Amino acid sequence: MKKILLTSAFLSPAMLFANSAVELEGGFKLGPAIILITILVLFVLVGIVFRAKDTTDFYAAGRGISRVGSGMAIASNWMSAASFLGMAALMYGFGYHGLAYVIGWTGGYVLLLILMAGQIRKYGKYTAADFIGDRYYSKHLRLIGAIVAILISIAYCVGQFGGIGLLFKWVLGIDYTYAVLIGGAVVLTYTLISGMLGVTKNMQIQYIIIIISFLIPLFILTYKFDYFWLLPQIGYGSVVSDIVSGIPATEMGLLVNSYGHEFAITPSPEYAMPWDPASGQTFFQFMAIAFSLMIGTAGLPHVIQRFYVVPKARDARWSVVWGLFFISILYWSAPVYSAFGEILSTNREVGKLAKDAIVVYTAQLGNVHPLIVGLLAAGGVSAAFSTVSGLLIAGASAFSHDIYVKVLRPDSTPKQQLAMARLGTVLMAAIVSLIALLKLALIGQLVAIAFSLAGCTIFPLFLLGIWWSGSNRAGAKAGLIAGATVSLIALIYFVAGKQGIILPAHEFVSYWLGAWYFAWIGAPLAIVVNIVVSKMTKETPIEIKKFLVEKVHS
Amino acid sequence: METQNNKYDISFFKPTTELAKINRKLTLILLLIWGFAIFGFHIILRVIEKPTPEPAYISYSEVWDNVKTGKATVEENQIFVKSTLSVLGKLAMKPNDRLVLDKMVSSVMFSLIPSQNKEKFYNQVLEFNKIKTEITSLSDEKYVKLKTQIIEQTASVIGVEIFSLEAKLIPFELITENLKSVDVNNTPNVEAVMAKYLIHNQSFLTDMKFLGYPFHYFYTSVFLLVLFIGLCWVYCVRIDKIHERLGIDDTV
Repeated sequence: MKKILLTSAFLSPAMLFANSAVELEGGFKLGPAIILITILVLFVLVGIVFRAKDTTDFYAAGRGISRVGSGMAIASNWMSAASFLGMAALMYGFGYHGLAYVIGWTGGYVLLLILMAGQIRKYGKYTAADFIGDRYYSKHLRLIGAIVAILISIAYCVGQFGGIGLLFKWVLGIDYTYAVLIGGAVVLTYTLISGMLGVTKNMQIQYIIIIISFLIPLFILTYKFDYFWLLPQIGYGSVVSDIVSGIPATEMGLLVNSYGHEFAITPSPEYAMPWDPASGQTFFQFMAIAFSLMIGTAGLPHVIQRFYVVPKARDARWSVVWGLFFISILYWSAPVYSAFGEILSTNREVGKLAKDAIVVYTAQLGNVHPLIVGLLAAGGVSAAFSTVSGLLIAGASAFSHDIYVKVLRPDSTPKQQLAMARLGTVLMAAIVSLIALLKLALIGQLVAIAFSLAGCTIFPLFLLGIWWSGSNRAGAKAGLIAGATVSLIALIYFVAGKQGIILPAHEFVSYWLGAWYFAWIGAPLAIVVNIVVSKMTKETPIEIKKFLVEKVHS
Repeated sequence: METQNNKYDISFFKPTTELAKINRKLTLILLLIWGFAIFGFHIILRVIEKPTPEPAYISYSEVWDNVKTGKATVEENQIFVKSTLSVLGKLAMKPNDRLVLDKMVSSVMFSLIPSQNKEKFYNQVLEFNKIKTEITSLSDEKYVKLKTQIIEQTASVIGVEIFSLEAKLIPFELITENLKSVDVNNTPNVEAVMAKYLIHNQSFLTDMKFLGYPFHYFYTSVFLLVLFIGLCWVYCVRIDKIHERLGIDDTV
C-alpha cells in the first residue's frame, strides 16, 4: 500500500493528463541524446586509445585479454539488438514461444564449450575460413568459408542496423531511413578507428553500460507496480501469473501507466502457455527454433573468432562460462520487459506499438524517468554497436585475410592488408544499411536467419573437422553444398513470400523450412552428407591427422 | 580406406588417446543432461497437455446457439458480450480476428440498447469512430465526453461496472456498419476466433506455481539458463582436473 501511495504521489492526475497522451515516439529528446552522444564519444575515445597498430591487433587483439575480460567481451559481442530489444519483442508478440529464442541463444554455448572452444583455440587460427581452409587443405573451401562468413555477418548485421535505426529514430526524432544511415555511419567510423583491440576493450565497457542500463528500469518497474523488486528476474514471475489470471480494474485506479490507464489486464493465458493457438506458433516450430539457434551459436564466425583472442585454451573454455553468465543476466531480465509491456500497453488507446521497441516503450509507459529511459536507449545502441563491431571485424577479416591475402594477393604488405580490411568493413556496412531499410522482419527473427545459415554451413565443418579426422576435403565440399542448398531454398521462399510471390508448395516449404529455423534439417543433412562422401573418397592427409592428434586433442 | 595412418585417427566415438576417452565420457553425460533438460521437458509438456478453455469460453458456449439464431434472452446476450469482450481485451488479437468479433459484439450490443435510445446511441458511436481518428490528444474534450457517454450507457446495459476493463473496451470495439443487424455469414468465424483465443494448452506443469511463476515458465526462462551455466562450469572444472592428471599443460 505504501508503494501505491508513493506511486500516486509521483503520478498526479495533472501530470498524467497535462499534455494529453505521452508521446512514445515524439521528437528530438535532449536528455537521451546527450547520454547517447556521451557514450558514443566514450567508445570512440577508448577505440583510439586502444587502436589496432598492426594486423595481429586488428584481427585478434594481440591475444592479451583475460578470462573474465574475454567473457565480458563475449557477452557484449553477443548481446546485440536482438538480445536487448528483440528478445522482449518476440515474447511480447508470441508469448512463451519467444522463450525458444532465450534457450536457443544460451543453450548453444554448452555445445560451443564442450565440443569446440578449447579445440578451436588449440588449432590456432585467426578466422573461421582460416580453420576451414587449413583443416580441409583447400583454397576453394577457404574462399567459400570466407564468403559464407561474410554472408552470415551481413545477415546478422541487418537486424542490428534495424535496432540502431529504431533507437536513433526514437532519440533524434527523425525518419527511420535517416536514422539507419546516421547510426550506420557512426558505428562504421568507430569500427574503422579502433579495430579489434579497441573493440575488445570497448566491449568490456559496453557490457557494463548495457547491463546497467537494462537493469535499472526493471527495479523501478517492479517497485512501482508492487512486485518483488529486489530481484526483478524472480519478482516478475508474479507478473506472468497475473497476466494469465488477469488483473481486474478497480474503482480507485491508483496504479496507472503514463497514459493514465490502470495497471489491469484481461485474463491472457495465451501469453504464458506453450505453443498457444493465439500465437500462431506450433510445438515443432518451438523445438526447431531452439535447436537451430543452438547449433547456429556454435557456428557463428564472430563468436568462434572470440576464442582466438584469449591467450590459452584453458582461458578459452573459462571465458565461455563467464560469457554465458554475463549473457544470462540480460536474458533473465528481457522477459520482464515483455511482461510489463503486455500489461501497460493493453489499453486500446495505447495503439499498436513497434514490437522491436517494446523495451523502451515499456519503460516509458511505466513512467520511468525520461533520463533513465534515455540511458536504456543508449544501452540498446551500445548493444547493437558492440555486436556490429565484432561482425564487421569478422566480415572484414574474411574479406581481407581469407580472400585477399590467402587467395588473391599472398604477397601483399601488412599496410595493404589493413587497407583491404577497412575497405571490406565499409562495403559491408553499406550493404547492410541498404537491406536494413527494407524492414524484412523483427530484429530477433532476422538474426535467427544468420544462426540457421551458420548452423547449416560452418557448424558441420567445425564439428566434424575437430572430432573426426576422417572428414576430408570432398566430404566437406559435399556437406557444404547440402547445407547451402537447404539454406538457399529456405531463403528463396522467405524472400519470395515477403514480395508476395507464391512458389510451388509454398506453405509446406515455408512451414518446414522456415527462415528462422531451417538448420533443424540443414545441419544434420550436411553432417550426414559430409560423412558419407568422406567415407567414399580419398582419406585426410597424414599431416592433418597428426596435427589433430598432437596439437588439438592432446 | 584403411592405411598406416590409422594411429592418427581421431573420432569422437572411437577415441584413441586417454584425453579423448575421458573427454568423450564427460561430453556425452553433459550432452544427455542438456538434451533431456531442453527437449525432453518440452516433449513431456506436449504429451501431457490438454486443451483447456477459459471460463469465458464456457459461458460463451452456453449461450452461443441462441445468440447466433437471434433467440437469446437479454441475460444470454449480456453473457455473450462479456465473454466476447474478454477476448477483445487480449493484446494477442490479430486485426482480422478482432474485426470478426467487433461485428458480432456491435450488433448484439445494439440489440440490448433500449429502443428509445437506439438512434442517439448509433449517432454517438458514429461520431466517436470519426473523432478518434482525428484527435491529436487523448484529453480532447469532445473525445473524452463521447467515450464516457458510450461507456456509461453500455456498462449498465451489459451489467458491468463503468470502471471495469470490459466497459472501457466497448467504445473501441463498436463498428457502425454492423450495429443494426447480425451478419449471418460472420457467425462461423466467431466460433473459430473464440476457440483460438480462449482455449489453451495446459497441464499440471503449467498450472503449478513456483516462486510466483507458472512452473513451466520458470523452468524455461530461469532454470534452464542456470543449468547451462552449471553444465559449462562442471565441464571446465572437470576438464582442468583431467588435464592436470594427464600432465597436459594447456595454460601456455
